Amino acid sequence: MLVACICLAVSLFCVAYPLYVIRPFRAQGPHELTAALAVLRFSGVITIFSALAAIAAGIELWRQQARTRGRAIAIALAVTVCVLAALARVNVYEQLMFHPDARPAFVSAMAAKIDPDDKLIVVKVNGVARAYPIRTMGYHHVVNDEVGGKALVATY
Amino acid sequence: MAGRRLTFHLAGINNQNFLMRDAETGTYWQQISGRAISGPLAGQQLALILSDELTYKVWCEEEPSGTVLAGVPEYASEYEVKDWDKRMKRTPTVIQFPEQGMSSRDLVLGIRTAGASRGYLYDRVLAAKLVKDRVGGEPVLLVVGADNQSVRAFRDRVPGHEDAPDFFRLNSRESGGALMMDAASGSRWDFQGCAISGPAQGMCLERVAMLKDYWFDWRNYNPGTTIWRQPSR
Repeated sequence: MLVACICLAVSLFCVAYPLYVIRPFRAQGPHELTAALAVLRFSGVITIFSALAAIAAGIELWRQQARTRGRAIAIALAVTVCVLAALARVNVYEQLMFHPDARPAFVSAMAAKIDPDDKLIVVKVNGVARAYPIRTMGYHHVVNDEVGGKALVATY
Repeated sequence: MAGRRLTFHLAGINNQNFLMRDAETGTYWQQISGRAISGPLAGQQLALILSDELTYKVWCEEEPSGTVLAGVPEYASEYEVKDWDKRMKRTPTVIQFPEQGMSSRDLVLGIRTAGASRGYLYDRVLAAKLVKDRVGGEPVLLVVGADNQSVRAFRDRVPGHEDAPDFFRLNSRESGGALMMDAASGSRWDFQGCAISGPAQGMCLERVAMLKDYWFDWRNYNPGTTIWRQPSR
């Protein structure tokens, strides 16, 4: 039971702490951001090991518990830790709040259906001109592209 | 980065400036600075590519053969509405720098060069049409396009000329597309900073990178910045 609870606590921390620190409309200090990013970077691996340990602990708990209630707790703990392992892989910003333009398509300047006063972020690389409408970039935020043979990432 | 192509994803937010993560190394990067702040490439810096913020009209006239990001039809209803910037101006900020008489959502055109940084109040630049200034001792020129929305920055030096160029604004409708003239050579220059007539014809001014940003964000990453306001008359 103790092992399962520790796994639950560790996995919960791995998921909840970055979500708490790195969120819109909350001021972040540099140290807490560094800590949250470090947790985020390793949360995928940690939650996997935690889930495996929780499953093993759940199996052991199941064997030890004769009563239904005890066995239900064993299952609940293991399942919860596994769910947290899955949640640790969810990129809230790219899968829930916004969505990427994973395969950006382009139209010719003269064919684009854009108002004359709409604003664009424009670049010219090796003689090739490219534009990214701000109204579009304000949603996708990141577009991986190649212009004039050079890889670039447009951001807004 | 070091010959390796990175693929970036939106990954978080830091004081209303977003974070991105590259899929190849798992490194987290700050969007505004292009600096890696956590992960295997921490401390590395992405190279900034010179860009402009222009209206579609101005850009189309300059680059009729260019291409434009088409967007994803599935998400078209999520894209920003026409007056998104007015709504954004009312959005509160989580950090504030109420100094030099500035408000968090004041728009500035930020220039960082020669070890110094300076923010030019966007509305004042539009009103002035042409701004001659110095950043870190370097002479810079901010020019407003004929659309009265697009702005570019240049180094205020004409190649091959020792004297200060002393640019002044022209009425583009009367001057065949030229926006300014320099008193030193009498040449006329367009919005791309290239001389289209006169002794300097064919020469182009050196571009200066400029970022249009909200004051709170510009100040957060440029703590020593000064502010340009149009001199009072």
